[in-house]
Amino acid sequence: MHDVVNQLINTTFGWGWPGWLISLISYLLIATLLFLIAPFQMLFLTYFERRAIARMQDRVGPNRVGPEGIFQPMADGVKMFTKEDIVPDSADKWIHLIAPCIVVAPTMFMFAVVPWGPGMVPVDLNIGLLFFFAISSVSAIGLMMAGWASNNKFALIGAMRAVAQMVSYEIPAVLSLLAIVLITGSLSIVDLINYQGGLFISTMDVASVPDFGLGWFIFTPVGFLAFIAFFIAALAEGERTPFDIPEADSEIVAGYMTEYSGMKFGLFYLAQYVLNFLLCAMTAIIFFGGWQGPGVGWLYSLAITPANPEGGWIFNVLSGALGVFYFLAKTYIFFFVMVWVRGAYARLRIDQLMDFGWKFLIPLTLVNIFGATIWVGLTRWGAAEGLAFVEGWSPIMRWAIAFVVTLALNLGTYLYLARIYAESQSERARMDDEVLERLTNVA
Amino acid sequence: MDIQRGNIIVMDRRTGKLRAGQGLLQGLKVVWDHWAASFRKNENFTQIRGNFTVEYPDERLQLPQAYRNMPVLLYDDESGHELCTGCYQCQRICPPQVIHITQAKDPVTGKMVPAATEFIIEYDACMSCGFCAEVCPFDSIKMDHVFELSTADHDSLTMRKAQLNRPISYYTSIAPDLWEGVKAGAMKKLQGNIKRRPGVIGMAPSLTEKIKARRQELAEAAAAAPPAAAPAAPAAPAGKLTPEEKAAKLAAMKAANAAKKAGGEAAPAEAPAAELSPADAKAAKLAAIKAANAAKKAGGEAAPAEAPAAELSPADAKAAKLAAIKAANAAKKAAEAAPAVAAPTTGNGTAAPTDEKAARLAAIKAANAAKKAAEQGNNE
Amino acid sequence: MIKTEELQINIGPQHPSTHGVFRMLVTVDGETITDLKPVFGYLHRNHEQIAEVNTYLQNMPYTDRLDYFNSMANNHAYAIAVEKLAGIEVPERAEYIRVLMVELTRVLNHAGALGFLINDMGAWQTQLAFGMREREKILDLFESASGARLMCNYFRFGGVVRDLPDDFMPRLKDLLVAMPAFIDELERLLRENEILLQRSEGIGILPRDLAIAYSVTGPVLRASGVAYDVRKAEPYSVYDRFDFDVPVGSVGDVYDRILVRIEEMRQSKRIIEQIIEQLPDAQGGHINPKARQNVRPPVGDVYARVESPKGELGFYLVSDGSTKPYRYKVRAPSFINLTPLGDMCRGYKVADVVVILGSIDIVMGEVDR
Repeated sequence: MHDVVNQLINTTFGWGWPGWLISLISYLLIATLLFLIAPFQMLFLTYFERRAIARMQDRVGPNRVGPEGIFQPMADGVKMFTKEDIVPDSADKWIHLIAPCIVVAPTMFMFAVVPWGPGMVPVDLNIGLLFFFAISSVSAIGLMMAGWASNNKFALIGAMRAVAQMVSYEIPAVLSLLAIVLITGSLSIVDLINYQGGLFISTMDVASVPDFGLGWFIFTPVGFLAFIAFFIAALAEGERTPFDIPEADSEIVAGYMTEYSGMKFGLFYLAQYVLNFLLCAMTAIIFFGGWQGPGVGWLYSLAITPANPEGGWIFNVLSGALGVFYFLAKTYIFFFVMVWVRGAYARLRIDQLMDFGWKFLIPLTLVNIFGATIWVGLTRWGAAEGLAFVEGWSPIMRWAIAFVVTLALNLGTYLYLARIYAESQSERARMDDEVLERLTNVA
Repeated sequence: MDIQRGNIIVMDRRTGKLRAGQGLLQGLKVVWDHWAASFRKNENFTQIRGNFTVEYPDERLQLPQAYRNMPVLLYDDESGHELCTGCYQCQRICPPQVIHITQAKDPVTGKMVPAATEFIIEYDACMSCGFCAEVCPFDSIKMDHVFELSTADHDSLTMRKAQLNRPISYYTSIAPDLWEGVKAGAMKKLQGNIKRRPGVIGMAPSLTEKIKARRQELAEAAAAAPPAAAPAAPAAPAGKLTPEEKAAKLAAMKAANAAKKAGGEAAPAEAPAAELSPADAKAAKLAAIKAANAAKKAGGEAAPAEAPAAELSPADAKAAKLAAIKAANAAKKAAEAAPAVAAPTTGNGTAAPTDEKAARLAAIKAANAAKKAAEQGNNE
Repeated sequence: MIKTEELQINIGPQHPSTHGVFRMLVTVDGETITDLKPVFGYLHRNHEQIAEVNTYLQNMPYTDRLDYFNSMANNHAYAIAVEKLAGIEVPERAEYIRVLMVELTRVLNHAGALGFLINDMGAWQTQLAFGMREREKILDLFESASGARLMCNYFRFGGVVRDLPDDFMPRLKDLLVAMPAFIDELERLLRENEILLQRSEGIGILPRDLAIAYSVTGPVLRASGVAYDVRKAEPYSVYDRFDFDVPVGSVGDVYDRILVRIEEMRQSKRIIEQIIEQLPDAQGGHINPKARQNVRPPVGDVYARVESPKGELGFYLVSDGSTKPYRYKVRAPSFINLTPLGDMCRGYKVADVVVILGSIDIVMGEVDR
């Protein structure tokens, strides 16, 4: 965007404005655009989810407002805006008011580092991934405020659960990404996407692979396991079934949102769906190449870029359009998977969720990091790092060996962990009996 | 426990099986299958996949004949008499006690008459158990199929007799088999009861006013006919239309319009232009033909309108007019009744037959009334 | 172990998953339940008192409203009680029709109950939607026979109100094609699902002795390992002519209750198939013509019971020789199965309360009467 604005103002019109003004204008433009996109995403996703889940249940879903019901979310929005805003008498009014804003704001910040297409990133931070996950945990404060300020037992329990869950599932999410970061050697999201060119094998691992934009991490054992762990953690972060414990409607009514109504409730809703969108987008970017796909790289190589000032502007448009299309398609597919999971499963209990996070996902991701080091060692290192025996092998051979070794490691770990985890669960069930014994004796 | 046939089976909990997410994948598969199959409609009971939604206001399921919602009272289409005799059986059996009956009395003798002057059912408290319909010895009270009774006005759910009345033809349209089973007995009992009912007692309230008015009119006509006929007779040959003739023509035209209105599949509306005097024949016949044409246009397969111009005294002009009015009313009623009756059954194609039936019934009724009127005119 | 301050929470009477207006006064230590007191009575409708001012027949539609999920089973129990009291014979064909309806009710109830249970575990309606779909089909059949979907009011003393309509049997046979597919699918969805296993295995254990001590009946009792089924223990109607198994559990937790219910649906299907075979040969009409509307049983009392889908449903009637029962008492399975709730929940987490409650499968209309 900066380049485009600069081109327009300083080259086409020849006004010669200073660089800081150009930057300011371009960032303002981007911010406006993203603030418009975010609520629209939320509206679309609610409609998408309701239609998809209805189909899974042999129903039709909302189809009355507008053709095929596409205006249903608008109708819901109007309803939400016009509803009475109820604040409980005993609530802490200011905190009750601020909490939803604090929940929404971080989700908007997170858009800052999400690349939509080749060269289409609002800010290319070199610590993009870190920024994304650091900011996402800020909303936990808002949830806690909401639960506390409501002065309601269900809300308090919900908020406690939400915070506990968010804090615990940050760890497996970040650990699973650590494996990817080890391989790419960068925390920048743009670098991460650039790494994923190729055809089932990344061009960065084996340089001779043709670049079809399909060298995604999902095709490596390390990436696959990281994807599973990350997606599960994302479900928990986004409070989706089977981890929608903080707002478990069958247990604690609506969790921290119990005492909210009208647009304040709408803001929580907005935050949740925007967060879900972003998590799906992140999954698509990190493991499925984001905007990478057949044709985008080739089109972008012909476009006007700092590296290639003589390109045609039409290629900018084309590569951008194709890139955004791939990116959104992948994102919506992941959202569909989220809906699909929601359609199929029940909800875990809070202690089971903790067990699963700490006793299963974290060991799994730790082993995966080990797998990533093996991967890096077998595909990159040479005599300089002390791996002289790989010197003679061809790159494809090294890749294949790394694939087999990490696959065996990951699969073995997964099955082993699944077994001992199941055993630990039955162990825990027996411990519950002891608790029962103790408590009945006390009573 | 000792079990004679069959066994006691202990459920297998499948412990010890490796649990590494296969069960989760299985669940996903099931849900996916449903999603994939949901783009077609589920057709019958053998299928467990496919879209099951019935989009209610647009699509409606065929209600079974035995379906019971709220009780209604039947009256006979032809005589206008209600089947109810006010025997209190339903009032007695009603579990929530929402039926209230007032038995009719002969205004002259003060004796009980087998009819109900008032019949109230509190729909708001009715539990739709169907006992009233079951115990009714005269098959007068039946369970309706209309279920869209929602209203914001609570009091409007206290139904009086006028609101409860439905013609038998309506009931046969919703539950033909059930009516067929009790028809003979019910009609026989009704004939017996009609004989014991003086005046308009026991007639459907929606009809009583009309019947009263018609009787009044008939009486007046009978009184006025002889003097009116005298000047009319000589005037006719002169080519001038008498007021009576004009009225007859008007009425016939009205009938024609009404028949036209009756809509797409109007039944063979036999506009029975009754016996006419030779003097009035031309005008009335013309009108009748017009009516027939209109009916034909409306109906497509409309039956030929019979306009039997008979050779009768000119005193019959009045009667002819009456008959035509009757025909017009009947046709109008048919037009009104058609959508009303069809409402609960729209969407499954039964609208046409009910429509047709109602129209035919109206026509027959009109014809009968006209004949009667003519006879009466003759007698006078 | 650290002891923290205890918190009292009211789950209900207005709560999404208490299956009606039911209140549980829960004392929690963190998320662990230390005490639970069920509070009934929010849906009390004076059923038994009303029944004593009504005639015998007038009570029939009121029994529909007890357990509004399975009105046919309630009708059956009440009809049997009055028939015993008044000595009314029931024609064979009517008996078959009754058993057919009651077994369909059992399938309907279990399909719905499992759906509600999984819903309480936090699923987003899918299993419930599948269950409800099958339930709707059965309700269609009920509607064509009795005229109503839920409040069937189909049974009369000495038979049923009218014979099966012509299109009933073909549709029933269609339904029987779908039923095993549905049950298999439900089993695939539930039986090995790891999340469901985590939520149900070892949760809400009701030991065999405790279950008997609380006089729990129905699938809850059978899941605790007691093979007690009124249809076998005291065969009423024509149940002694059918071959079917009694599924029992081994642990008595929520998972066993799910398994027992799934298997009971299969057994009900077996019974229905046998009915279809035997019904054409059955003697008599759909109702005993001698059974009048105004039943006037001799002085005496009677207790009649059936295996309703929720457990043993009994009616105790005392007649003083008039047209109205002198005393009318319902032994409601939902109510009695609910009494051990406190013992079943103690020591588990808050989230388990609704699951345990769902696994008992109560209908508040029957609990509070």
